[in-house]
Amino acid sequence: MEQPILPPESLTNEAIAARLTTTADKKQREGLIKKRNLVYLELNGCSGNIISLLNGQNPTFEYTLHSLVNLRYSNSLMASEGEQATEKLIDVLDEDFILAVEGAVALKDEGLYNVIGSWNDQPLTGLQAAQMLGERASHILAVGACATHGGVSAAKPNPSESVSLQDVLPDRNMIKLPGCPVHPDWFLGTLAHLLLYGEPETDNLGRPLMFYSTLIHDRCPRRPFFDRGIFAEKLGDKTCLFKLGCRGPVTRTDCPTRQWNGSVNWPIGDDTPCIGCSQFGFPDAMAPFISFDTTRVVKDE
Amino acid sequence: MHNIALLRLQMNHLVTQARQDLHSLSVMNDQSDQSQILQRLWDTVSTMHFISEMLANQASMPGYYVLPAPTLLPQQNGTTNQTSIPPITPLPNQTLPPPNQRQFTIEELATYDGKNGRPAYVAVDGVVYDVTNNRAWAAATHFGLTAGKDYTAEFQSCHAGQQSILATLPIEGSLT
Ligand code: HEM
Ligand code: SF4
Repeated sequence: MEQPILPPESLTNEAIAARLTTTADKKQREGLIKKRNLVYLELNGCSGNIISLLNGQNPTFEYTLHSLVNLRYSNSLMASEGEQATEKLIDVLDEDFILAVEGAVALKDEGLYNVIGSWNDQPLTGLQAAQMLGERASHILAVGACATHGGVSAAKPNPSESVSLQDVLPDRNMIKLPGCPVHPDWFLGTLAHLLLYGEPETDNLGRPLMFYSTLIHDRCPRRPFFDRGIFAEKLGDKTCLFKLGCRGPVTRTDCPTRQWNGSVNWPIGDDTPCIGCSQFGFPDAMAPFISFDTTRVVKDE
Repeated sequence: MHNIALLRLQMNHLVTQARQDLHSLSVMNDQSDQSQILQRLWDTVSTMHFISEMLANQASMPGYYVLPAPTLLPQQNGTTNQTSIPPITPLPNQTLPPPNQRQFTIEELATYDGKNGRPAYVAVDGVVYDVTNNRAWAAATHFGLTAGKDYTAEFQSCHAGQQSILATLPIEGSLT
């Protein structure tokens, strides 16, 4: 093991991520790592994950595109359209590529509830694309709640009969990055790890331990209030949000220490309960997101 | 004001603890021990935050009587070579009376739904448990289940072989 890095070297999230990025950059210039093809497929979802990724800081999304991977296909970001865009997707099939998928796979009417393009004048469904690319990809990343477990797209009553990516590719190993949306660091960090050192260590649900190992509740700055039974009664209170329905105690992510939007803040830091967006079964299993009737005593009920 | 002195004492103790942990971290190489010390450091900082909030609260409200918390704050152990760090014991259960033998009908159970300040109870295999302050039952709901019902079947399908979970819950009585 290398010498641990000790203060005064900065230990902020940005500094650590910046060190990783610099290492990746250096290794690449030295020819130790090669750029690989990345296909970023958006299926049945809201494009929230790709938007979250554009917010990445270390590495930035531009850096990722320029230096880490060749982005061969992205529904939202590519310049080509129509069959020309689909052609790029077909072209990658014979090469080595990493597949990232956001959004669930809609099964209803043979996938027609989610059409991502056309090929030979036929609609190309998300289901077809997921199977075609999923079978050939060297690594698969399921990005966000919908791809990892169905998420919002599969919430009751699930009119499109959406399922997770794993459900249509039962035999493929995939890294799962739940979250609604995924944190840019969780995706870009996993991707960088994949390129630098291979697949990261995961838990039994396929989530990388480096981001998803710790219960929010165990790192929450409001934990002392929980332990002493001092609970918030309304949004904005500075104490533990448990009685309002906080899902921090059942959700495993590093939000309390990593935080969001460039490490500016996070839900509990802004006095609103965790809604468990990174827990399997979200949103149905995490509902209701907020309850006021647990603490409020109504006299003439 | 007697409380302020106690809080200050507690704060100084935590600062000493934090300094000691920082020192240990700077000299140790063993990763597994490191994560334990980091966890304790984190808890220490959280408790310091808590105490500073309490002090700020008191400063802004003259005459406001601070909770008699100091005696209840976790007793941190000053040694760094121990193998396990005792978790902070949640308070709510400490004052509970011995196991209750009350009989509940299913209708009575339904009123313990955790709403409007009422406790939240659920039944599994005829035993009524209190989940009011269980961390996994925030706002008396748990993975789509609401308190006040018999969840024998659900427990079987979701937590088969995890009887240990039930063993941690306070018993309120039995279902008739
Ligand atoms: C719909 C069925 C259920 C599902 C999907 C479910 C799911 C879960 C999950 C995923 C956890 C682990 C949270 C974590 O530590 O990461 C958990 C914990 C827990 N569940 Fe359930 N559960 C179900 C039914 C029940 C029922 C009927 C009870 C009634 C007693 C119950 C009581 C608990 C308790 C007390 C814990 C906390 C255990 C601990 O302290 O480690 N669950 N549940
Ligand atoms: S706010 Fe949520 S995560 Fe934080 S201590 Fe309270 S219940 Fe746990």
